Amino acid sequence: MVNLGSPPAPRRSKGADRLGTSLPGSRAVPGRGEEVEETLKRIQSHKGVIGNMVVNAEGIPIRTTLDNSTTVQYAGLLHQLTMKARSTVRDIDPQNDLTFLRIRSKKHEIMVAPDKEYLLIVIQNPCE
Amino acid sequence: MAPPTSLSQAASAALATGGAASAKGPGRPGQLQDETLGVASVPSQWRGVRGIRGETKSCQTASIATAEASTQARSHAEAQVQTEAPVPVSMLPPSRLDTTRLAAFLQRVEAMVIRELNKNWQSHAFDGFEVNWMEQQQTVSCLHTLCYPPAQGQGLHVTSISWNTTGSVVACAYGRLDDGDWSTLKSFVCAWNLDRRGLNPRQPSAVVEVPSAALCLAFHPTQPSHLAGGLYSGEVLVWDMSHPEDPLLWRTGLTDDTHTDPVYQVVWLPEPRQSHRFQVLSVATDGKVLLWQGVGAGRLQLTEGFALVIQQLPRSTKLRKPPRGETEVGTTAVAFSSFDPSLFVLGTEGGFPVKCSLTAEEAALTRMPSSVPLRAPAQFTFSPHGGPIYSVSCSPFHRNLFLSAGTDGHVHLYSMLQAQPLISLQLSYKYLFAVRWSPVRPLVFAAASGEGDVQLFDLQKSSQKPTVSIKQTEDGSPVYCLEFNSQQTQLLAAGDAKGTVKVWQLSTEFTEQGPRETEDLDQLAAEVAT
Repeated sequence: MVNLGSPPAPRRSKGADRLGTSLPGSRAVPGRGEEVEETLKRIQSHKGVIGNMVVNAEGIPIRTTLDNSTTVQYAGLLHQLTMKARSTVRDIDPQNDLTFLRIRSKKHEIMVAPDKEYLLIVIQNPCE
Repeated sequence: MAPPTSLSQAASAALATGGAASAKGPGRPGQLQDETLGVASVPSQWRGVRGIRGETKSCQTASIATAEASTQARSHAEAQVQTEAPVPVSMLPPSRLDTTRLAAFLQRVEAMVIRELNKNWQSHAFDGFEVNWMEQQQTVSCLHTLCYPPAQGQGLHVTSISWNTTGSVVACAYGRLDDGDWSTLKSFVCAWNLDRRGLNPRQPSAVVEVPSAALCLAFHPTQPSHLAGGLYSGEVLVWDMSHPEDPLLWRTGLTDDTHTDPVYQVVWLPEPRQSHRFQVLSVATDGKVLLWQGVGAGRLQLTEGFALVIQQLPRSTKLRKPPRGETEVGTTAVAFSSFDPSLFVLGTEGGFPVKCSLTAEEAALTRMPSSVPLRAPAQFTFSPHGGPIYSVSCSPFHRNLFLSAGTDGHVHLYSMLQAQPLISLQLSYKYLFAVRWSPVRPLVFAAASGEGDVQLFDLQKSSQKPTVSIKQTEDGSPVYCLEFNSQQTQLLAAGDAKGTVKVWQLSTEFTEQGPRETEDLDQLAAEVAT
């Protein structure tokens, strides 16, 4: 799991999580950071998954398992595409909304789970 | 009007004679009588009395044409646009996250995503589903047949072909590959611009006369018009094909440093410190591998040199005992690795490829004169072919694989890690003159055979026989050289002994990568015997 920024700091009893977010006064709930890491690790270990990443509402990647330049490229492009897909669905039927986006290409399949604040992008190489 | 004096004389004469009787005769005596006379008057000439003499004249000016028009200056607004250099997006530092919300989001979507991943893994929905975005070309066809009649008239062969960096110009060198004697015949280097309208296949866009047979060509990697060539006399020349009147840029001249044998291959290399400038590496059968740099006044100066000496070859494979008196190993082909720019493979006259490095330090045991110290570059020797090697090619997709082809008609696929070849294929009963990997498909390569065919091999389809065999010459005269076009990947140019260059358009199966090719190539390379 690539965690750009500060190296992992040893776990302290004050409740700072393993990510190294040790700002005094930060109200990081113990274990939340671990939950995030474990969920992403579970997804990554699935059959055929090449990489995954979490992107925030502005298209800036927050967590990733790929290298920096690839991540930034995927995040920017897929964020725009997801917004376009969502507006397409809502234009056709305003009561409807986008729940999942899948792009299948010759080499692999990209899956995007959208949300109000975040996007989860998973790239899988399906068996052929 | 009579002047007043004469009138007054007549009047006074009439008065004096008393009237009418004077003219009648002299005898009658005049008698005074009363008569009234007319009044003699003189009109006044006084301006005022006469009155103003006037005539009435009138004139009228033509009517003036008038017209009305109005203009209004439009109001305009100015606007300017300035593109900004894109700010590289970087990842948010983790300290600014709100992990609670992130964890909640992941909890919500995780189940759905894992369900989809599983379904995808087991799905057969897309099996055999293929989408064609580009027009499919089913067969290989000949796009152009290019030749230069004066060179063909001299019976010259096409010895080497090169595409330029933009992929639009193909250049060929004319010479003879079957002459054993030292030849002094003049020869040509011709270039055709295939993108030009009105391309005349028998009229090259640029022709350069060279003093001796040209045996190899290489276009500059970034300058579309600079071309390096090696001659039968051992010289290396660099031309600028955009100046047909005076194309020669640099030459080595015939000094002590120059090769003493024909130069079989030239390659452009980036300079070690300034990667935008390039130097020329030349390989000849005198065993020397020389690096040249263009200095002012049109001279190519030797910067580094290597010599391949048989005593210094690593004994990783059993070689034939060399003939007495000869210690140099003639090198006929060179290929640089696309992954490690200082690593290269030399093909030799002894039939064994040699892995070499530009960074080798050991001095070569050779008595050849040279202005820079010659080094021994060999690091590993591979197991030999049955005859001299004419061509080597390093795979652009795998760092350890390379092909070599020679006069025994076999193509060997070697891995850098072992001396024995991974695959040995017999493609022809005659010589094989050139072998090249495809720049787009990791498992495809092409070979030029002495039977007049260009054979395309797809290791994915069949590892025994060629997928396509293109007949270039009708009478079976050999095809001496071939090159893929790395910009327009469906083009393949091949030159033969009849002096023609044929540009083939490959079918789509040779230009589009399949889904698992890189993995298959890795698997092939991993079959290294332990």
